[in-house]
Amino acid sequence: MNEVGLLENYLLVGALLVGLGLIGFFSRRNMIVMFLSAEMMLQGVSVSLVAWGRYHNDWGGQALVIFILTVAACEAAIALALVVAIYQRSGSLDIAFWHDLREDNLPAYADQEIPEVAGETPHHWPTLTPSGTEPEHNTEEETHRAMV
Amino acid sequence: MTLDALVRNPLTWGTLLFAVGIWLLLPRGATRGWWLGLVITLVSLGLFASRMPALGDWASTGTFGFLAAVTVIAAVMTITLKNPVYCAIWFALSLLGTAGLFMLQGSQFLGVATIVVYAGAILVTFLFVLMLANPEGHASYDRLSWEAPLSAITGAFMVGVLTFALVGVFNPPDAFDTKFSTVEIDRTGEILAGEHMAHLGGQLFSRHLVAVELAGTLLLVAMVGCVAIVAEAKSRRGQPASRKRQRPKSASREPQRPELRAGEALR
Repeated sequence: MNEVGLLENYLLVGALLVGLGLIGFFSRRNMIVMFLSAEMMLQGVSVSLVAWGRYHNDWGGQALVIFILTVAACEAAIALALVVAIYQRSGSLDIAFWHDLREDNLPAYADQEIPEVAGETPHHWPTLTPSGTEPEHNTEEETHRAMV
Repeated sequence: MTLDALVRNPLTWGTLLFAVGIWLLLPRGATRGWWLGLVITLVSLGLFASRMPALGDWASTGTFGFLAAVTVIAAVMTITLKNPVYCAIWFALSLLGTAGLFMLQGSQFLGVATIVVYAGAILVTFLFVLMLANPEGHASYDRLSWEAPLSAITGAFMVGVLTFALVGVFNPPDAFDTKFSTVEIDRTGEILAGEHMAHLGGQLFSRHLVAVELAGTLLLVAMVGCVAIVAEAKSRRGQPASRKRQRPKSASREPQRPELRAGEALR
């Protein structure tokens, strides 16, 4: 097998993964997808490291990838704990909820109006014929329910 | 490098088309142009691949091409799809492709570890949180991106710099192309030999022993940190002030819970 060619091809794949992860981390607003993108960047680096290790006939590349796996596991655990904590406060996975952490002199984030997706018409849930006497409604419970 | 050479270089056009295609693919609110973005992205990936050398025989080239295509296309889908659950599943496919690439390099342990640790543990936990938090899908913040054109240009610029450096290093234009290509390393040795795990473990626990200890400490600290964060959030949960904060406009446009609708219909 052409060793230099193999290394070059692997480095291209690693570069593409890192670039795609960068784009995803910059542009997506869902916190989970942002962390998926960060993991993708780590994968790109891992691919490059393994290729270099093979090229130089050295175990250092693979050992470093094992440490990358360790760090990725730690990162995922802490990130998920943070996401769950943030979700309990804000009720959504939108990172834009935290735009009030900005500096004082920056303008507030204005959400863009987007058209509703076609085919996402409101559902018509089935109804039952009322029978018996209607119980008293507890409006307090209906309106103060948690989001999920 | 002159302007003429730059224009005739397929990598330049690959980088430009990559930016345009990813911008068209990213969720922008409008659904127009998705297929066009996919075609443009695939063309740009083909342009990137056209400058890469063949691997010798057709079997290894075909295997590598298939695995690389699976990895990269699944990665594109991961960052561009609107439904986060589909994002996670495409990311799992990308991880499988990466594991195959590791196997092709002869690092069997890393291939298996990637599948077990990433796809088996981390990704399933992500999916678990996703299902817990957002069972309805189609949230408005999934259909919009931050500054999609700018981030697409930034990422494509980075890919362009890396690939230009790659081609410049490995295929230099003139005289000194003896640097990389002809350095002969003895590759009959250990990394492709048998007893893979024995060698890898031996390296790990001799040359990288301190790093292994540090990694263990890091795992412990991360675990303690997780417990601390969750305990903190739990103690905070009862306070009503935290929940009454004003939510951004996008969150208020989410569809209502079906339970409430059913309750209204009953009334």
